[in-house]
Amino acid sequence: MKTDKIKELAARYLCPSREKGDADRYQDGTAIEIHREWRGLADTAYDYTQWCKLWGTLIKWVAAHPVQDVKAIWRYRWMFSYLTVPSFFDRLTQGQKGAALRATRNNLNYLAEHVTENLDIILSADMNLHPGSKKAEELNKKIICTDELLPALIGKGFPNCKQVLYQMIPMYLPSLINQHSPVHYIGQSEIHGLPADVCPLPSFEAGLAIEDDFPKIGCCMLTSNMPCDGSIMTTMIQDRRIGLPTNVLNVPLRWLRDEVQEYAVAEFEEAIKFIEDHTGEKFDWDAFKQACEIWNQQNECKFEKWELNKTAIPPHTGAAAWLYRIFEHQKVCGEPKALANDRKVNAILQKQVAEGKCPKTIKHRAILWNTPCNNYANFNNWLLECWGVDSVVEMIDLHGDMLIDTSSHESMLLGAAKMYQTSTMRAHTKGGYEQMVYTLWEKYEEYDCDMLIMFDQISCKGVGAISGLFEEGARARGIKMCTVRQDLMDPTSITRRDMRRDVNIFMQTVMGETPVDPTLVDFDDDQSW
Amino acid sequence: MKDLKHIRYYEDLLELADNELVRKAKEEGGVAVGYTCYYIPEALLNTGRAFTVRLRAPNTGSLDISQYYMSSFICGYSRALFERAFEGGYNFMDFYASSDTCQQMVRVVENLHELDISDNPNFTYGIIDSPLKISEHGIKLYIEQVKKEYIKPLSEKFGVDFSEDSVRKAIAEHNEMCAVFEEISEIRKEDNPRITPREFHILCMVSYCCPTGLILPYLKETLEDLRNREADAVSPWRKRVVVVGSEIDDYAFDEILENCRCYVAADRYCFGAFPGRQQIVLNDEEPAIDQVCRYYLKSCQCPRFMSQEKVQERRDYLKKLVDDYKADGIIYEQAKFCDFWGYERTLNTQVMQEEYGVPTLGIDREYVVRGSGQLSTRVQAFMESLEIKTIQKGGH
Repeated sequence: MKTDKIKELAARYLCPSREKGDADRYQDGTAIEIHREWRGLADTAYDYTQWCKLWGTLIKWVAAHPVQDVKAIWRYRWMFSYLTVPSFFDRLTQGQKGAALRATRNNLNYLAEHVTENLDIILSADMNLHPGSKKAEELNKKIICTDELLPALIGKGFPNCKQVLYQMIPMYLPSLINQHSPVHYIGQSEIHGLPADVCPLPSFEAGLAIEDDFPKIGCCMLTSNMPCDGSIMTTMIQDRRIGLPTNVLNVPLRWLRDEVQEYAVAEFEEAIKFIEDHTGEKFDWDAFKQACEIWNQQNECKFEKWELNKTAIPPHTGAAAWLYRIFEHQKVCGEPKALANDRKVNAILQKQVAEGKCPKTIKHRAILWNTPCNNYANFNNWLLECWGVDSVVEMIDLHGDMLIDTSSHESMLLGAAKMYQTSTMRAHTKGGYEQMVYTLWEKYEEYDCDMLIMFDQISCKGVGAISGLFEEGARARGIKMCTVRQDLMDPTSITRRDMRRDVNIFMQTVMGETPVDPTLVDFDDDQSW
Repeated sequence: MKDLKHIRYYEDLLELADNELVRKAKEEGGVAVGYTCYYIPEALLNTGRAFTVRLRAPNTGSLDISQYYMSSFICGYSRALFERAFEGGYNFMDFYASSDTCQQMVRVVENLHELDISDNPNFTYGIIDSPLKISEHGIKLYIEQVKKEYIKPLSEKFGVDFSEDSVRKAIAEHNEMCAVFEEISEIRKEDNPRITPREFHILCMVSYCCPTGLILPYLKETLEDLRNREADAVSPWRKRVVVVGSEIDDYAFDEILENCRCYVAADRYCFGAFPGRQQIVLNDEEPAIDQVCRYYLKSCQCPRFMSQEKVQERRDYLKKLVDDYKADGIIYEQAKFCDFWGYERTLNTQVMQEEYGVPTLGIDREYVVRGSGQLSTRVQAFMESLEIKTIQKGGH
């Protein structure tokens, strides 16, 4: 390394204030940080400690089954993405200080802890990694695979079994962690004839199935029609390749209607029977009740967070909020550890609001509508850092807001069925256009927003087909609406830079704003994870 | 062959959604029920004063308005319907029977409602939530949804008589029409068929787009004409295919195939005859409404049905059509931006070929196909490949 480069790096570490903006820390092309972010002594120290804690979790995971994990990395292309998790977590904490930083780190580190445990379950039972293994065969007898959009609550009634959200580890998380991870699999789907206009999420799943890159686990599979038409259809391809006995848990679409609830419950009961038949286990109502009660408390913690975000000091915004909400609703619903984490995080957030501290520059309060972009999970961080736009409320964060009545078996089934109907994405994209359109205007007022960021997820047909209603509704109400194009998890059609460009033009022309951090207005991160 | 009786009249009827027979039925006090999908039990909604009109947007041109309201990534059929509604082309429609089965389609009626597009002061609609698999509780849900979303508003607001006798009378008339199509379908099995694909598609479409009672006499006369029709001395057809896929209401599609001398022996697409133009057999014990609903749900071949047995049933159904109608191959067609048929086409073009041994071509197409050179080239190449296969097997 040249002497002047060493001097430059040393100067940056020793005197970070010399930098003009955050992007000065980025490498060209990858936007990978040259050094860690300086957030003040206390926050930098906290962040560093939590970063070390993450490394501890990862090392502990690798140390437990080193051979198996290395084999998995060579066997599955998507496993490589998990090697970049520390960088992913750093991106999600960009610019954060105070309670927001602490909440994010706690949520993410709990996520890492749970996901590594989940990886252990999956990889230990994976017949691709352990062909002919009797031990793996035994493990699989008690593994229930479910579509990742089906909340894991049903599995809580089978405490002797492990429930695996089948696509979460190979597909959903890698799409967030590494923006390039879906590209190969989407390409495989398209090579086999799938149109390029379908949503990248089911296309990614289909590609995994075509490549035989799903772990070979489980004794049965619960599929579903969630959340959309594309997901319904990708199941056909997955079923064929996975080869497990399957049952479709058909979740009603017009979920606001009382008359569909009887059907929803019947489907839930049928799914329970299906699992019982394939695992040999009996549904444990007590365990299920306990999980429902924990979930109710988790949900109440979330309600508190939503209330806090309505204040002038919204403490819990961005991917740390919405990503964790998805994770909690789908994967760790009914988990005591998740509830403990929620309580800890809520205490941190409440303290900051009570003290009236606001360690961030908020120039605008935005509502973000439609599904966020997986390949740009830290988009919210950029919005805040670059333009001072805080995403105080997001559609993807607002779902499953009903408590489950645990007074009887019937009421629990009804509550759980309702929870499934209002699952991630589905609560708004299904149930009639009013859910998607009218709720937006209500939440805009409720959270005292002054701008709307509308994701134009180009392959989402259900939302695209009502795009005019958003435009007209915003105009009628005098709401400033910024449309940001994205393709969920396909960076080859719309890049992160394209998304930033949409916002930049809007902020400069419509809002007449100057950036909080001009270095972040335009930079190249196409090659980044 | 000489022109089929009434074929020009049928072509004229297909020039407008609000055609001469629809207007006549309205003048006679009929209640026009628009619909777009097999999930909507057509035969049931032709009861009493109600008559169904399967919605089309003939002569679609610019889709600028719908592109603004529905984006450019939505299937052309949905956008064309919205555009036509926006232009006032469906003001005759009193009731829109819709289903939350394909989200793009259901958004059409939701846009109509929110934007208050229809000039018809009586206009209203119903949307059913339908299951994606067959089960007893699913059938129960479907029947309840049909009753609540369609039958209740039609009887309460428009006074349509859904009594047992009235429904059975409607099914009898529906069966009478289906009997015509069953006989015509038999003609399609002939080695040198006396009906062309284009003609059959036109007959099928008028049966969907006109009031049953008014079109039936014409169809019967056409059938009589067909019975006596003589085929050309030499069969012009190179090969026979089954066409399966998304909605096709543009008979120019058949013209393209005909120009390649490709014979459509059976049509398993929306607006086609399979399923949809087979008689519904009712028993005397159960209410007719329940029986009809069960029939439609069970016979539906929409790729939206996602349970493994239905996926398998769709392939077997198709193979049976290939065998019964002596087809040499299958053409899977998918309307651009249709998720359901996009996946179905992708997988089944391979499955039907590799596991069922039926040569299969997969294509995607726009809503309006007239003048599509690409489509013509692909069908032409498929014909050649089928012929080469025959030669390789020692045939000619």
